[in-house]
Amino acid sequence: MKAQLPILLIVGILSLAHGESDKKDATKPPCCRDAPPAGPYTDQSLYLLDSMWTSDVGKEIKLGALRGRIQIVAMFFAQCEYACPIIVGQMKKLEAALPDFMRDQVDFLLISMDSERDTVAALHDYRTKTNLDVAHWTLLRGGEDDVRELAALLGINYKRDGKGQFTHTNLITVLNQDGEVAFQQTGLDTATDQILSALKKIPEISK
Amino acid sequence: MNAHCLLWVTLLLPAFQLDLDAGTEVALQKTVEIPAGDFKPLFRSEDDLKKIPVRGFRLDKTPVSNSDYLKFVRANPKWQRDQVKRIFADSNYLNNWPGNLDFGDETNGNQPVVFVSWFAAKAYSQWKGGRLATNAEWELAGAAGYKSSDAKNEPEFQKDIQTWYFTPSPETLHAVDAGRANFYGLKNMHGLIWEWTSDFNSAFVSGDARGDNGLDRQLFCGSGSLGASDRSDYAAFMRYGFRSSLKASYTVHNLGFRCAYDL
Repeated sequence: MKAQLPILLIVGILSLAHGESDKKDATKPPCCRDAPPAGPYTDQSLYLLDSMWTSDVGKEIKLGALRGRIQIVAMFFAQCEYACPIIVGQMKKLEAALPDFMRDQVDFLLISMDSERDTVAALHDYRTKTNLDVAHWTLLRGGEDDVRELAALLGINYKRDGKGQFTHTNLITVLNQDGEVAFQQTGLDTATDQILSALKKIPEISK
Repeated sequence: MNAHCLLWVTLLLPAFQLDLDAGTEVALQKTVEIPAGDFKPLFRSEDDLKKIPVRGFRLDKTPVSNSDYLKFVRANPKWQRDQVKRIFADSNYLNNWPGNLDFGDETNGNQPVVFVSWFAAKAYSQWKGGRLATNAEWELAGAAGYKSSDAKNEPEFQKDIQTWYFTPSPETLHAVDAGRANFYGLKNMHGLIWEWTSDFNSAFVSGDARGDNGLDRQLFCGSGSLGASDRSDYAAFMRYGFRSSLKASYTVHNLGFRCAYDL
């Protein structure tokens, strides 16, 4: 896939850029950028959550570490056979369709609902296998209670069945720069244009 | 529907041993132990387990009252009505309380706290050193009748439950400790309010609880169709339907909670 070469480049730049100025910030993984904007969160911000999450690079963060950029969020689990590949595929399609001026303002966030099997290593494998751009994609795992709580905030229902698959609401959520839900798209068959037009309506993103 | 074919089977396994120390004795007076058992889900897909084993746990004898909840908000100002973050509780949070730290008449103190969100219920439970019960735990405990751990053979109990589910909520709720206790010593599991469970958002029911044909399949991931194991159990249907319609920040006039504790 065409994303493979840029990832290698980005990883290369990343190692060079470590500790350098803000200019290079764009090439760090979203979980590990320099300090996010400070100040209290709004009443509707998901970043009010105190729970700790671990990224596929092993970094522990609160969700507030992602403040400052728009996040396209979905919950998934790495062994999903049904809908998740479609959701992640849709997010990648959206990534490819982003207008240039949005590219550095929009990140993608996948959160696992499978606290048991989706270890840091499993998430890392998933990133490699699915070819997710290090500079823009965050993969997180968390404790069962914290996952349940985040799902509740996003309006996602899920339940593990007897075969280890999860039945879950299929939902892609757009969080604005402050972690507020700006848009949600349900279902699997919708095109990217609705999310794109929702993104354009978020203040501070228009040119 | 088929009210004659109640098949809600609950198998009880031997209770876990329980070690007690004096410090927990007061708390124990307000809770009862629910022995380990199997919960048979009302709704399950063909891939789901027919029985979910539930470990023994403790459950509050009664729902949390207004006076209990007042202590919580005094100790945790961020859960007071004028300070709570809107994302964690909608604008009706505690809206039957006349003031921020005032539940009204003294008699209201012993009524169940309602208009509380899932986040608030969860925070209260943690403050008490407990947690919310899971659906499986709650349903296992709630499946008991007056005389046995499985109400399916107690028509009197079934009738009482159904009467409640089809009666609009009264203006004034009765006291949390009023009424007849069930087999385990739990009061008002049915007949007073609905209660939050920790995994309320694991319920999948369409708006039309008569079957799965109203389910928007686009919204859900999963191969099997949802099917009810016992279509005659109106009460359980209604609880599942209610849970699946909730969002965690919702507060409702007849929705409260009680706490559960690990053994």
